[in-house]
Amino acid sequence: MATASTSSHQSRIGGGRTVAPSARRGLFARKRHRELALIWVLLIPALAIFLLYRVIPLLWNVVLSFQFWSPTKPSEWAGLYHYEEMWVYDDVFWEALTNTFKYMLTAPIAIILAIGLALMVNSRIRGRTVYRTIIFMSYPLMVVAVGIIWRWLYDENVGLINYLLRSLGIIDRPIAFLETFATALPSVIAAAIWQIIGFFMIILLTGLQNIPPNLYEAASIDGASRWSQFWRITLPLLRPSIFLCFIIGIIASFTSFDLIYVMTGGGPGHATELLITYIYKAAFTLTQFDYAGALTVVMFVLFVGLALIANALAGGEAGKVDIAD
Amino acid sequence: MEGWKGWLVNRVTITFGLIAIVTVGWNLYVRAHNDGILEGEVVDAGGQPVADATVILNEQTLVSLAPIAETTTNENGSFNFLKHDRHKVVLTVAKPGAGASDRILVRLYFRNQNHTLPDPIILQPRG
Amino acid sequence: MRRYPTWPIHLALLLTACVMLVPFYWVFKTSITGENIFSYPPSLLPVDPQPFFYVDAWYAIPFPRFFLNSVIVAVMVIVANLFINAAAGYALTKNFAGKRWIILLFLACMMIPFHATIIPAYLITAKLGLLNSYLGLGLPAFSHIICIFIFKASFDAIPPSLIQAAKIDGVPERDIMLKIMLPLAKPAVATTIILSFIWSWNDFLWPLIIVRDVEMQTLPLGLSTFLAYFEDTTGALYAFCTMVLAPGLLVFLLAQKEFIQGLTSGARKG
Repeated sequence: MATASTSSHQSRIGGGRTVAPSARRGLFARKRHRELALIWVLLIPALAIFLLYRVIPLLWNVVLSFQFWSPTKPSEWAGLYHYEEMWVYDDVFWEALTNTFKYMLTAPIAIILAIGLALMVNSRIRGRTVYRTIIFMSYPLMVVAVGIIWRWLYDENVGLINYLLRSLGIIDRPIAFLETFATALPSVIAAAIWQIIGFFMIILLTGLQNIPPNLYEAASIDGASRWSQFWRITLPLLRPSIFLCFIIGIIASFTSFDLIYVMTGGGPGHATELLITYIYKAAFTLTQFDYAGALTVVMFVLFVGLALIANALAGGEAGKVDIAD
Repeated sequence: MEGWKGWLVNRVTITFGLIAIVTVGWNLYVRAHNDGILEGEVVDAGGQPVADATVILNEQTLVSLAPIAETTTNENGSFNFLKHDRHKVVLTVAKPGAGASDRILVRLYFRNQNHTLPDPIILQPRG
Repeated sequence: MRRYPTWPIHLALLLTACVMLVPFYWVFKTSITGENIFSYPPSLLPVDPQPFFYVDAWYAIPFPRFFLNSVIVAVMVIVANLFINAAAGYALTKNFAGKRWIILLFLACMMIPFHATIIPAYLITAKLGLLNSYLGLGLPAFSHIICIFIFKASFDAIPPSLIQAAKIDGVPERDIMLKIMLPLAKPAVATTIILSFIWSWNDFLWPLIIVRDVEMQTLPLGLSTFLAYFEDTTGALYAFCTMVLAPGLLVFLLAQKEFIQGLTSGARKG
């Protein structure tokens, strides 16, 4: 835009002067050339990094998944061997896949809670900024440390959670939350919700503040109750923000490596194994890079598919939330 | 605040300035007090100083005590260690015929800190 | 309009605030007493607080070294992000052949989570001979696409007439970028600094994969290694945990407004 208008402007000035048209054009072409060169020079570092660490790895993953390969052996064509192995024989893969989907429950639960919180901190009450800060505070913290904190809270003998539940009389003997098959995954999910809820609250709060207040004024003149205002105005207009949270939640279920690694290591058994932790184990503890590559391809396809579905459900709006301001 | 004052005096510079001052101060304090002198006194059950008691400075390992240094008390019942190079030691005192002490855990704020035990170590006759 | 009482809101928010804060309190309490590691019921208030677990942690691990490693990597990543992303964002405000494709490529790259590239990324880093080095730790995070678009948006918002005027005055392109556009893009700069700081400071998976020596470990990696050695039997672990959390918390509290703004605009992390 800027360049186009500039050049037309300059040529107008040029036309007014007594410069030969051909020389003028040559000068301009050289300038344009230099500008193009500058543009590409500016773009190259970013492009290089994305080629090196996004595009090439992605393609390499695909290649790897069709090969027998390990750092010491020459590669060999494997066809669909790894995929067949995964699909037919590998129970852990299916468990990790199911857990990844279960882990996505983080998003709807956290969103519902966060809508409540956002409505509350959006009301005109004293100290609302302090509440916002406190609730948001857990989000930017180091996940590894957060995982260690939650391990400690869940501890069977001296954990705070067992202590509270026992003193309230809800349970009569302590539960080893992270070592029991039935409770391990929900416990990790609870910790994940704890960490992300403040972030969702802020996103939804921004969405709330972008709703024009005169809509509510008009509605209350029409005699609509607060309840129906919420369902008819707030929720529909929050839809882009909600879907943004949803997508963040989906991403989190594919990338929550740190929390799982620290809290349970995928155990007990594989009760909290996610695809990403399983990929890590396959690649870096079992050094089956080829098989891990196949797992990664499946994870990536799944991820893109879900992201596209979510985006379509949002009517393509999820990306359009203007939260930068 | 306007101009250079706003750049020089704000919450970020104040916070990090304070941290820097505390760090430097703490390091100077440590420099001045890290001769590793550990002093104490040994008394018997009646409160009388015990001379010639053997004091052993141990390091606590996971399963047991590992002796690091040994000394004996003088006629006033006092003893000292130099350059113990630890931040957490266990003292044990014994004297044949006079008994032994409990294990005394001494925790220091930094390695080689100069420290004088606030209470004398009491020897109890052991059967 | 009817006025609703505000105390139920306060009550609910206070409860939530407690739920958010109690974990920190609990770990901090354990780090200064350690008493409830072995005792039941745990006492809610610190009994007999003492700092010795911090002394233990300080001598059990090379904390300054971990801290320094984290800082070096974070500073490297922040500086690289500022230059690379500002440059790319600026280039994208221009018209040139293939711009559409470049933008499409960036948008497509946003759909590739870094976690889906770790194996080849590791192999590539090994080929480059950068395993176990600061550059290797930082390199994959040297540019975040979201920051490129944030820079592009903020450059686009600068009135073209301003730049035209500068151009007519014969200001060279380089000076236009450094002296006119960069100062005007301050919010984008702040966002980039915060996002790249947070993502580099908290990053765990990548250091876990490529770091071999204890001397090269960053804080999160050091913390998880410490956990593996000492399990949860010692107050020193929680002292270390507090020491690791403190710098991040301090930085957040100092710049919370910028943090909240930056992280929300970086919400669509790729």
